[in-house]
Amino acid sequence: MKKQGTGNSKAVSVYRTRMIGSGLLFFLIAFGMVGPFLVSGDPGRQNLSAILSTPGKEYLLGTDHLGRDMLLRLTAAIRVSVAIALITTATASLIGVSLGILAATRGGLAERCTSLLADTFLALPGLLLVLLLVAIAPGSFWPLYLGIAMILWVEQFRMTRALVQPLATSPAVQATRLLGFGPWYVFRRHFWPELQANVLTLSAFGAATAILSVAALGFISVGIRPPTPELGQMMIELLPYYQEAPLIFLQPILILFLLVLSLNLIAGGKIR
Amino acid sequence: MKTLLDIKELTVSGEKTIVHPVSLQVRTREPCTILGETGCGKSLLAQAVMGVLPSELRAQGRIFLGERDLLGLIPKQRRAIWGRELAILPQEPWLALDPTMRVLPQVKEGYMVAGAVSGASAGRLAQATLSGLGLTDAAGKLPSELSGGMAQRVAFAAASVGGAGILLADEPTKGLDAQRWQDIVDLLLQKVADGIGLLTITHDIGVARRLGGHVAIMCEGRIVEQGPAARVLQNPVHPYSKRLLAADPASWEKLGGRASNGVSPVIKAHSLGITRGGKQLFKHQNFSIAPGEIVGVTGPSGCGKSTFGDLLLGLLQPDTGTVWRDGSHPPLRYQKLYQDPPAAFPRSITIGQAVEDLIRLHALQPGIRDTLMDELRLQPELLDRLPEQISGGELQRFALLRVLLLDPIFLFADEPTSRLDLITQQEMMNLLVRCARERQCAILLVSHHADLIGKVADRLLFLGEEAISRDAAFSACHQTSPREHPVYGA
Repeated sequence: MKKQGTGNSKAVSVYRTRMIGSGLLFFLIAFGMVGPFLVSGDPGRQNLSAILSTPGKEYLLGTDHLGRDMLLRLTAAIRVSVAIALITTATASLIGVSLGILAATRGGLAERCTSLLADTFLALPGLLLVLLLVAIAPGSFWPLYLGIAMILWVEQFRMTRALVQPLATSPAVQATRLLGFGPWYVFRRHFWPELQANVLTLSAFGAATAILSVAALGFISVGIRPPTPELGQMMIELLPYYQEAPLIFLQPILILFLLVLSLNLIAGGKIR
Repeated sequence: MKTLLDIKELTVSGEKTIVHPVSLQVRTREPCTILGETGCGKSLLAQAVMGVLPSELRAQGRIFLGERDLLGLIPKQRRAIWGRELAILPQEPWLALDPTMRVLPQVKEGYMVAGAVSGASAGRLAQATLSGLGLTDAAGKLPSELSGGMAQRVAFAAASVGGAGILLADEPTKGLDAQRWQDIVDLLLQKVADGIGLLTITHDIGVARRLGGHVAIMCEGRIVEQGPAARVLQNPVHPYSKRLLAADPASWEKLGGRASNGVSPVIKAHSLGITRGGKQLFKHQNFSIAPGEIVGVTGPSGCGKSTFGDLLLGLLQPDTGTVWRDGSHPPLRYQKLYQDPPAAFPRSITIGQAVEDLIRLHALQPGIRDTLMDELRLQPELLDRLPEQISGGELQRFALLRVLLLDPIFLFADEPTSRLDLITQQEMMNLLVRCARERQCAILLVSHHADLIGKVADRLLFLGEEAISRDAAFSACHQTSPREHPVYGA
């Protein structure tokens, strides 16, 4: 009975961690969505007569060194980060899970080829890969998207392959095939229920990685190009003014921190 | 006869009482056997004697080992008894041995700790024990390199190092084929002859019969009947004992043994051969089966019984030879029943959903399901449960239902009852035989249980080395026509 008790309280604490993470993420996304309705205007519009103004009535969160509205810029940056994270993790999960299932169920040459591909990507430092791609087509969106998705799919692939391999040869799947069901049914009824939780966990971690990568690239001025506001790029632009306007400088850092924290809470709740 | 272990009014309880007052004596030269089905509380009884009950359970009563009451001792004192006075032969010994330690040091360590002898003489003793059990060659091997039977003898050696006067054997024959079964029971009898008290916990009536001595039959936490083996096993008094003993395959009525009627076969194999894991399992294996016929496959474990069935179903490809199927039947009518029922269902959906999916996929009449459920005596409310939430017997009947929905003409039943209790096993086998006869479905039945397969099968197929002689003997006494009978090559 004692064991069950601790098991339950553990489950409750995992659940609570997840709820806090989801709540925080929801709040941040809502902030990103609602921002443009709170204040109308263009995040790129400069007002040189009000640079680095502190948060106040006119500008709720103050302005940056060019007098641009921080509220508008932050909410726009959240939208950019979250959108990139969303489509890169979705792409990575789709590719990773599909190739993982292919490797686990087909075996043989298919497995060797996909595993070799995964190992190759694993051997390359992730950010370097993105930098390489960005160097091919600087300033455009697709190398960023492609690069990050290529970092993220490997983990999904390895997890899927490891989980599906024993399932694929299990009596349950064999029986299902003998009864005439096709591969889609096997995926839906056998593989997906086992994968689901792990895919979501890895996606949450992956989204955090994606957001950090975009910010890191912005920080070294190779990622999203101005005038589109982006968290890393805002940090590097505001860095020279950290003494004059620490409140302004801290804003993108705080947002980035909260985004990554919320995703890690969602993911980490499961891992432990 | 001296009383070695005296259990008086022992109860085991958690939130409610699980084992009701039990009294038993283990004497010299009189093996004591507790016979019962899964969940009857017999393992808890053994754990209570040993002193290894889960922390949420409590034992009450008295267990006298000589003059001492074991339940009055503190854990440290009880540990001192383990191996020296009270030894346990664990279930599935290959899991109980240290996988990283070679056999000799493993046994030697026992002598040093439990027997308190010096390293050098412990080594000699261990060597002597191993050679006494015919394990001289195994001394330098790791447990993973041992066969199941050898691992069992090593565990046996390890359990007897402390010179304990009482041996507790927990399901000693679980998962063994006939030969190893014999070996382990002989070893136990040897111990008894040496004057060691033996308390065996088993679900296998054959074990109780071979050991003789004193037998106690346990059901739902109570000993319903106990007495001399000859009396209890021949003339049981309690209704449950009667049912249990009648369910022993050895005392079944003969279900199979019908001569083949010369109808054209549904599946034929010609000169099949396969190598798995570097071992030639069989070669030049011929086979055919007619509608409604039940063919039993037996042989020592690892001889390729399941592989043979999988080859016929096309789940594996043979290295040599061909499998022919009657082309007028769709492949869906060739089906399989699995050994472990929960492993054969999708884990995360209800049974009803799984059956529903099948009905929808093949656009079957939904009414068939209800007719079959009646026929297999399955309650409708079971449909709402997950596979892990119903008993193995019920789940295996659902597996049969799922297969019967497709109106099979050939069914490969791979040890379909080896995970089921005796009474459930009998019900399941009766259902299978009925299904073969009424639906003209050919059944290939794999089982390691010689009695069972002898009663159920019309014809036997032996795989493995002894195949030729034993098969010939069987066909001689069953007068199977030579044409229908499989022929074996060397």
